[in-house]
Amino acid sequence: MTSLLAEMFGNTRRFLERLGALAWFSLQVLRQAPAAALRPRLVVEQVYHSGALSLVIIMTCGLFIGMVIGLQGYDLLHRIGSEDALGVGAALSLLKELGPVVTALLFAGRAGTALASELGLMRATDQLSAMEVMAVDPMQRVVVPRFLGGLVAMPLLTAIFIAVALFGVQLVGVQFFGIDQGQFWSQMRGAVEPGDVYEGLIKGLVFGMSCSLIAVFEGYTADPTAEGVARATTRTVVISAVVTLVLDYILTALML
Amino acid sequence: MKQTLQTAGATAPAADADNVAALHGVDFAIDDKPIFRGLDIAIRRGEVTAIMGPSGTGKTTLLRLITGQLRADVGRVVVDGRDVAGLSRRELYAMRRRIGMLFQNGALLTDLDVFENVAFPLREHARLPERLLRSIVLTKLQAVGLRGAARLKPQQLSGGMARRVALARAIVMDPHLLLYDEPFAGLDPISMGVVMRLIRSLNDALGISSVVVTHDVREISQIADSSYILSGGQVVASGTPAELREHPSPVVHQFMDGLADGPVPFHYPAPDYVAQLLDRSEAA
Repeated sequence: MTSLLAEMFGNTRRFLERLGALAWFSLQVLRQAPAAALRPRLVVEQVYHSGALSLVIIMTCGLFIGMVIGLQGYDLLHRIGSEDALGVGAALSLLKELGPVVTALLFAGRAGTALASELGLMRATDQLSAMEVMAVDPMQRVVVPRFLGGLVAMPLLTAIFIAVALFGVQLVGVQFFGIDQGQFWSQMRGAVEPGDVYEGLIKGLVFGMSCSLIAVFEGYTADPTAEGVARATTRTVVISAVVTLVLDYILTALML
Repeated sequence: MKQTLQTAGATAPAADADNVAALHGVDFAIDDKPIFRGLDIAIRRGEVTAIMGPSGTGKTTLLRLITGQLRADVGRVVVDGRDVAGLSRRELYAMRRRIGMLFQNGALLTDLDVFENVAFPLREHARLPERLLRSIVLTKLQAVGLRGAARLKPQQLSGGMARRVALARAIVMDPHLLLYDEPFAGLDPISMGVVMRLIRSLNDALGISSVVVTHDVREISQIADSSYILSGGQVVASGTPAELREHPSPVVHQFMDGLADGPVPFHYPAPDYVAQLLDRSEAA
């Protein structure tokens, strides 16, 4: 019993220490972000790595998720005779929830793991130490541009995901089931408000910030061993997924 | 007991003008495990100083103390006459710009090619016209014999080539102190000879000071002006390579002659061998 309590105490203490370290790390990143933004070439490079290289997976998943929404949505709406509302339902669910959340989960799995493992390997192979000795701050040269790259890429990826998914819905609903094209788009235009679009983009931005921060933190603080890098990569995906879902609930509650 | 032919501790602060770097009475521990206890070392200007000792004696830690990546628990680390612990972040970075360091594995930036790796410190610290930067980088690559490899990626280099590129990068800012962490480790005899000659010739041609951390006694003895042997967190001997070979200390004798067993035991501390083999409870 005593050992169980001691273990619980130890785990809680380690969790709080890690949380404190993340908070301190986040402050350092945000403090140095304006200076790093003055070197746009580094940030653009990272937008390419985190954003452009994630496009294929984002678009492929977006298309199939949209098609599944089309199938399920049509099946449901057909039962109550409201097939024409498929566009509205799909657009709202994609803009407000599915788009930013699924994009964040995919981003964590593709770009987040790449960021964490790259930084972890740089630590393990002394590249970060070498920068320090060359009087180059690795935080400013390596970490912050990667964070900013993720921050910029996520809302863009979210927008692309939603657009491709809507195309998938249209493909199934209009082309396959024969819903009237005009009804599909006009109902969507009539029901979707600018606030719905902003909600999706704000969520994309917040998830981009949280997923990028978690990835660079885990990678930068990884143990300089193969096991340490593997653990950092796994933790990036797991923590990003949990934080994304928790933040989604909080943001939804705030923006209702 | 500490035995030295030329006691580094005698290098008082007054003599720091002759030394590019010095450690005075340094204690340092990692996770309560003591690494150094009262360490005294002086790195003389213009010389190649070898730091030797068995694995795990904190030779790399010593370099990290000099570069200010680690801070001494007790004692002073002085570089260019200034206590590293008293430097602000800006001053520390200014000090590091005058130091070059060669890491054991090269530590080349894997997303950049050879040319850009060598150009990296210049791009970060100096606003040079591209033509001048190119000339400087090619000059440094020529000095290490790898001008022709300028557009190769680090993954395409052998261990020896990577070490030489890292050396070119270390000297690109014209440092006055070069630190080498195990520069001969894992190299074939040809690469080892090349790196060895480069250390000596760069030191003399550029008029700099060099610290070489190594346990390759024979190689370093050919190029070092003075040497320190560390063991048990302290300097057990110092002097020229010739003086060290005549040193009476059994630790120095074991190290210089490469003997497997001696004051530094071959076996890690363990219970009695026979008793452990016969112990059935442990096997279960």
